[in-house]
Amino acid sequence: MSGGNVVAPQGAEIRIGKTGAILIQIGVVVAIAVIWEMSTRLGLAHPFLLPPLSAVLGRLAEDTMSGSVFLDLTLTLYRALTGFFIAAALGIPLGILMARQKLFGWFFEPLISIGFPMPKVAFIPIFILWFDIYDTSKIIMVVFSCFFPIVMATYAGTKNVDKWPLWSARSLGTREGQLLWEVILPLASPQILTGLQIALPVGMITTVVTEMLMGGRGVGGAMIQAGRFADSVGVFAGIIEIALLGMVVIRALEMLRARLLIWHPEARH
Amino acid sequence: MTSEFGIKVEGVSHSYAGRQGAGTLALKETNLEIARNEFHALLGPSGCGKSTLLYLIGGFIPVQNGVIRTPAGEVHRPGPDRGIVFQNFALFPWKTVLENVIYGLKKQNRSKEECEERARHFIKMVQLGGFENHFPSQLSGGMQQRAAIARTLAVDPDILLMDEPFGALDAQTRRVMQEELRSIWRNSRKTVVFVTHDVHEAVFLADRISIMSARPGRIEHEIETGLGLDRDDSVIESKRFIELSEQIWRLVREQAISASRGEH
Ligand SMILES: Nc1ncnc2c1ncn2[C@@H]1O[C@H](COP(=O)(O)OP(=O)(O)OP(=O)(O)O)[C@@H](O)[C@H]1O
Ligand SMILES: [Mg+2]
Repeated sequence: MSGGNVVAPQGAEIRIGKTGAILIQIGVVVAIAVIWEMSTRLGLAHPFLLPPLSAVLGRLAEDTMSGSVFLDLTLTLYRALTGFFIAAALGIPLGILMARQKLFGWFFEPLISIGFPMPKVAFIPIFILWFDIYDTSKIIMVVFSCFFPIVMATYAGTKNVDKWPLWSARSLGTREGQLLWEVILPLASPQILTGLQIALPVGMITTVVTEMLMGGRGVGGAMIQAGRFADSVGVFAGIIEIALLGMVVIRALEMLRARLLIWHPEARH
Repeated sequence: MTSEFGIKVEGVSHSYAGRQGAGTLALKETNLEIARNEFHALLGPSGCGKSTLLYLIGGFIPVQNGVIRTPAGEVHRPGPDRGIVFQNFALFPWKTVLENVIYGLKKQNRSKEECEERARHFIKMVQLGGFENHFPSQLSGGMQQRAAIARTLAVDPDILLMDEPFGALDAQTRRVMQEELRSIWRNSRKTVVFVTHDVHEAVFLADRISIMSARPGRIEHEIETGLGLDRDDSVIESKRFIELSEQIWRLVREQAISASRGEH
């Protein structure tokens, strides 16, 4: 061993670079896949409890050919995104109002504080009673669970905007009514985006859980169906579908953030 | 000389709310009259209320006691007649340098082309040519400061409030900026209030200099520099400049010493 490698841990991180990081990430996925496959092949796990990866992938390929994967994924994605966007359309304006209008703040603050930590799944029976077991109540569940992180982040981000850019704008001739669009929202946008990034996975989880509890089509429903028929390959196929869908959607939002916040110091290292 | 006023501060006190009850008295019964088109420098120990006075004239914080007047009327809120360069720059972080400078121009009746042309002109003037499309977070402190100066100068306000505007600059750039500012002031006849800790800078730039007492701040001394309208670098070597600097430095030091005694 040479003495020149003492600083390796820190230096290595810098030298690996972007392609290197991607290679490592692929390596991790491949390693998990190999361990999974080997442990069933070698008989370490019962093939019913943990079906071999190759069987699960085979099922995914079959379902892709027949198109049923797309139906389930599209339905799940449709519910998750519709709920998410409705929650954003309600939550962002409400968060801004709460921060800007004292009366709104006083009124909604306690309600939001109570609602935020409440387990939203507990409301599923109520929504089934009030609405139906189809799309409406599923989407309402997603709206309900996405709403709180979005309101809270918008409220906090809008309330705590730095006063200096506001003062600058006012001295440059910005009227009070223009401040919100021209200064406050851009300043609060990193926090609002963070709220959306927290809400989206919450919405995906809620969608799948709701589908599992209410049945019908969709990734969650299909998994419960597979479980009932003791089709463990089908259950694992569902897990992989959800994982891939979640990853794609969350990455998309990350990319959107990077695009929108190129001005932010976080965009540079 | 006509006695037309530029800014009148009459009996203005200001106290900042404290966490429990007792607030901080930053200004006490401050009086200051600045003539129209005067270049006025404000000196005083750190924490004596110089920024507070500028914020009051700017209309950013409400006047609690007394009155502040400008030719446009009594001050109640900020307005584009009073441009300000903040001590901490206060740029719009989501806008590029060019967009920052254009922002205020767009609020005026100017064509799109004129806004851009004017913005580019002032960016060049503060020596930021080539950085038009950089965001503030990509600039050094001194560069951000110059971008803020360009943004304020571009909108051509009647009154210019500058809070240590060259504080983050190296000596070389600082000198260039001082000369630019003086020539802008010379050509466009503005009323300037210029806060600085640099006695030489104050004497070089100003017609009149006020020295504030330690907190709670008041105007303790007012001094005419009498160095004439047209000065160049050579004025620095003049006897008057050297004596004046010496005298002002002594007065500022007195206040700084009483400030350090006042602290417990
Ligand atoms: N937002 C605030 N809240 C409470 N107290 C404040 C606030 N801003 C300033 N002060 C107090 O008011 C006094 C005057 O502050 P100010 O910023 O006007 O001083 P300054 O003369 O500009 O100092 P410096 O030369 O260091 O910039 C200070 O003693 C400070 O403690
Ligand atoms: Mg200050």
